[in-house]
Amino acid sequence: MSKFEVPVGPQHPALKEPESFTFVVDGEHIVEVRPRIGYNHRGIEKAAESRTYIQNLYLMERICGICSVAHTTCYAQNVEYLYEKEIPPRAEYIRVIINELNRIHSHLLWLGVAGHEIGFDTLFMYVWRDREHVMDIIEAMTGNRVNYAINTIGGVRRDLTGEAIAKARKVLDILEERTKYYRRVAAAEPSLISRVKGIGILKPSDAVRLCAVGPTLRASAIKSDVRKDDPYSAYEEIPFNAVSYDMCDVFSRVLVRVDETLEAINIIRYCLDHLPNGPVRVKLPRNPPAGEAVSKVEAPRGEDIHYVRSDGTERPARYKVRAPTLGNIPAVCDMLTSKADCNVNIGDIPIVLASIDPCFSCTDRAIKFVDPRKQKEWIWSHEQLERYARRKANP
Amino acid sequence: MKLGVVKWARTKSPWLVHFNTGACNACDIEVLAALTPRYDLERFGAILRGSPRHGDVLVVTGPVTRQVKDRIVRIHEQMPEPKFVVAVGSCSSSGGVFRGCYNVYPGLDSVVPVDAYIGGCPPKPEAIINGVAALLAKIRSG
Amino acid sequence: MSVPPEKYLAEEIKRVFGDRALELKTPRKRRLFVTVGPSDYKEFMKYLAETMRITHISTMTGFDAGGKIEVMPHLFGLGVELTVRTSVPKDKPELESVTDIYPGAVLYEREVHDLLGVIFKGHPDLSRLILPEEWPEGVYPLRKDYKAQQSEPVRKG
Repeated sequence: MSKFEVPVGPQHPALKEPESFTFVVDGEHIVEVRPRIGYNHRGIEKAAESRTYIQNLYLMERICGICSVAHTTCYAQNVEYLYEKEIPPRAEYIRVIINELNRIHSHLLWLGVAGHEIGFDTLFMYVWRDREHVMDIIEAMTGNRVNYAINTIGGVRRDLTGEAIAKARKVLDILEERTKYYRRVAAAEPSLISRVKGIGILKPSDAVRLCAVGPTLRASAIKSDVRKDDPYSAYEEIPFNAVSYDMCDVFSRVLVRVDETLEAINIIRYCLDHLPNGPVRVKLPRNPPAGEAVSKVEAPRGEDIHYVRSDGTERPARYKVRAPTLGNIPAVCDMLTSKADCNVNIGDIPIVLASIDPCFSCTDRAIKFVDPRKQKEWIWSHEQLERYARRKANP
Repeated sequence: MKLGVVKWARTKSPWLVHFNTGACNACDIEVLAALTPRYDLERFGAILRGSPRHGDVLVVTGPVTRQVKDRIVRIHEQMPEPKFVVAVGSCSSSGGVFRGCYNVYPGLDSVVPVDAYIGGCPPKPEAIINGVAALLAKIRSG
Repeated sequence: MSVPPEKYLAEEIKRVFGDRALELKTPRKRRLFVTVGPSDYKEFMKYLAETMRITHISTMTGFDAGGKIEVMPHLFGLGVELTVRTSVPKDKPELESVTDIYPGAVLYEREVHDLLGVIFKGHPDLSRLILPEEWPEGVYPLRKDYKAQQSEPVRKG
């Protein structure tokens, strides 16, 4: 059936690198999905045990360069829970502003990448050009575009200048207009909708059963958001909506992220209008008290959870991180498995994988296919799979 | 530098191949940003393409994890001569913040030869373009 | 005056499990830590899922505490972030899997197995998740006796 069986060629015989996913197929249809991750397993949790709490701030930021500040916020909070210390309100508001800017940049990044997966490279270029506005505000506020180093234990390291705030207000207006434009395109462009509607179905009951998180969960009608369910930082004081849609498909996930971008713009405006006066950090002793704590934040990809165990010394006894994407792997395997009422095809893989917003490196890996009936096995690079998917979509 | 390489470099736009060896994505998004209209890497005569078989310059991010080591070595082997390798970011330059961790190598040059290092965590798109352009200028001038 | 959710849940657990809930801590709002023995663990998780309808598992932390390894599922429900703690002896680190009650735990148990060597009895697939294929058997990086060493260079830099 599929003319594109590229057998494991001469460049692969010594392929010790395991595939990120193995798909068991029957012709075009996917019957089973087996995940295997670990490409960017760097041993962070072990490293955290031999670094001080302050040094770990810089390590945590680099768990994921896209969600960066979500991890440092979660980490700083966690350690602050150990001290049982509240940080100054102005610091909480600044954390929210930077976290929401991070959400906007991440969702726009994703929108561009998703556009590329569907074959809309122009969308990618437009969105990433608009995203540069966000990078500008972030750089004006924190001094850097990608890894911000804004958080410290006890608050934030920099205050917002009047100049940065004025710039932000202007840019937010532009961003809002551009995002509304993308919202209209997403809701009305037939060639885009046909590629994402009805694809990658995740039923609400499965989303809950498999413990999905973030926009993936909220696009399956479950209105669960850490900022509402377990409010942290200043979120309890800030009026905003948790966005949810009920179509349970890739289209639903597109709409959730675009609307969350619009909500984020409003949250930032509220924070700028209500920014409390006062200091931006409180000085804390070098060693936190012995104890343990759990901290959660709503990163752009979903619930990020950290656990810390302190033995009273300057290094953590244990630091555990579960980044959001891992929480969605069982759900994406379910989305990619054919069921009685719904077949899933090989050509759907790139867009469905992209729809959970995984870290690039999770998807930029070899993918293995096994067809037991035809007794065939083959391995494709992600690029080969993308090309196949595009050919299938535009015959 | 051999005359053949200089002539080659002056007569074509080098094809860049990007590969992530376990990076956190920070460098990768800045490499991609370098392609977008604001920075426009392509006006320096370099094109980002997918396949290593046609690649001239391998642009690598990330601390090389054990899982990808064989693949990056193989990709490097698949590239035809003349070929050049650019290590983007602190992680590929030296292991960066992950130096000393189990499961990573201490920098890309412990696995394949490297021609240029672009430091930063991550380096800004301007720095990436600067590094790639400087490498190309060096090759072209012999 | 309403009872904070973590206090309510703590009271319910005490009522149903009595002394088998070895330790109950509510260090801050919406946080509850409960310790149970390994023989009560599965029953306790079943109670949380089926009676209290706490269905979301966020992750599982494993911790090398010397002679024993602690296994801590982190759950969320009823407005409470609940951490359950149980422990198994390091020389026989076996615990019942809860993947039949919490299907979402399937990768988290696999991760604790990969990095700390706990065997979850009844887990559908405890193959390697995170460590490379060639990682030696029986070497668990998150155990305290493992000294992290970066990989040996393949060539001189």
